[in-house]
Amino acid sequence: MSMDYIVQISKPMLEGAQTTILLFFIAIIASIPLGFVFTLMVRSAIKPLAWLANTYIYVFRGTPLLLQMLFFCFGLPVLPVIGEYLVLDRFVAACLAFVLNYAAYFAEIFRGGLLAIDKGQYEASKVLGLNKWQTTTKVILPQMFRVALPAVSNESITLVKDTALLYAVAVPELLHFAYTAVNRDFTIMPFFIAGVIYLLMTLVLTLFFKFLERRFKYE
Amino acid sequence: MAIIEVSHMKKSFGHLDVLKDVSFEIQKNEVIAVIGPSGSGKSTMLRSLVHLEEINGGSIKVQDQYLVKDGVYSNHSQIKAITSRMGMVFQHFNLFPHLTVQENLGLAPKHVKKLTKEEVRSNSAVLLQKVGLSEKAEVYPGNLSGGQKQRVAIARALMMNPDIMLFDEPTSALDPELTGEVLAVIKQLAEEHMTMVIVTHEMSFAKEVADRIIFMDNGQVMESGSPDQLFHQPKMDRTREFLNRAMR
Ligand SMILES: Nc1ncnc2c1ncn2[C@@H]1O[C@H](COP(=O)(O)OP(=O)(O)O)[C@@H](O)[C@H]1O
Ligand SMILES: [Mg+2]
Repeated sequence: MSMDYIVQISKPMLEGAQTTILLFFIAIIASIPLGFVFTLMVRSAIKPLAWLANTYIYVFRGTPLLLQMLFFCFGLPVLPVIGEYLVLDRFVAACLAFVLNYAAYFAEIFRGGLLAIDKGQYEASKVLGLNKWQTTTKVILPQMFRVALPAVSNESITLVKDTALLYAVAVPELLHFAYTAVNRDFTIMPFFIAGVIYLLMTLVLTLFFKFLERRFKYE
Repeated sequence: MAIIEVSHMKKSFGHLDVLKDVSFEIQKNEVIAVIGPSGSGKSTMLRSLVHLEEINGGSIKVQDQYLVKDGVYSNHSQIKAITSRMGMVFQHFNLFPHLTVQENLGLAPKHVKKLTKEEVRSNSAVLLQKVGLSEKAEVYPGNLSGGQKQRVAIARALMMNPDIMLFDEPTSALDPELTGEVLAVIKQLAEEHMTMVIVTHEMSFAKEVADRIIFMDNGQVMESGSPDQLFHQPKMDRTREFLNRAMR
């Protein structure tokens, strides 16, 4: 097992890691705001909106992400009549599944964050004359995000590992290149390298969220 | 002239009648202490004055403007204008934990009164000095003692220049050794003739600071009078019973 070999197989794996990272960022950047929209819908006084959001969250949390991904990649195109217009690029379809799935989880996390806020915060805001918008943006949301931070951190680490599901729809990413190399070269080394790369990514995330938690400790 | 007039105020939560025909007046510059057993409706009464609760009947008039007249509320902007004349201090402080003391004081003046940074800064410096917490301006509430938190809450309410201050058991959540520093601040406000309504369990404080005591029981104002009269010659048996138990 030479150093040369490790360098040689690491190169495609790092390229695969780019897809992993791209999916990660698309999913996290889109699903956090979308999840927050669902949180607001769930709490909305307009009952059909709340009902819709609850159903959405129930479905996307209650079924496997893998199923959702296969559904968007291979399920939609076989629908009668409209199917032919729903042939998405597999990476795009996978992104869609990830965003919709994670939005459901983030919606629940933010809902929990809102529930954790004492009603005295709303009352103090009202008595001080703050309007609803000011109360939400200046008082409630900052506290909600602070409460939600550890859970968001957890979820984002899970997301890094979930990107390996791309393997199932044959979008080449980190794990795909590792597995190819294992089969081709009859060595277990690529799996270790893949593991190390995943660990590095989750380490960076862990440090990042630790920093955020310290930064917003309010002490 | 009465600054607050409450007449025939009624409030129920479902089938529970919490306020049954409550009427009283508060004069400008008067300090009122409200006493009574827990569950008698003191908090609900106070919260109704600042529209944290909606009453089901009766009238509330503040500085000659009706907040609610015969059970019908004024419009949104009138309600806002009327309640903005009152500051409220809660039992559990309700400070904003994600903001420093300075920011807690400045939030509403900045966004509601649209004061400039400099105005906010100089006003809060004056009030922090007044409650003895000048050196805590940059500290988060999580690092303050209960007594300090409540003093910040009082300063935060005063930042809006209220004509009337309402206190709902301001010392009930505090360790006994910390009540004194909060009561001292309230006493100072009384000396400055701030109009105040103070719900309290501190009988000796009520006696000392209040011009008039209102005794509430079972959703009604049972009796009101000067501290001397109410504590030494209560008219109602119910008042005497309560005082006997409270003073023991
Ligand atoms: N939001 C509410 N919903 C239902 N019941 C309430 C609510 N707030 C207060 N109550 C009830 O109203 C009664 C009076 O409460 P409160 O005004 O807090 O009394 P006090 O401040 O004198 O202890 C109590 O029986 C209390 O349980
Ligand atoms: Mg109470």
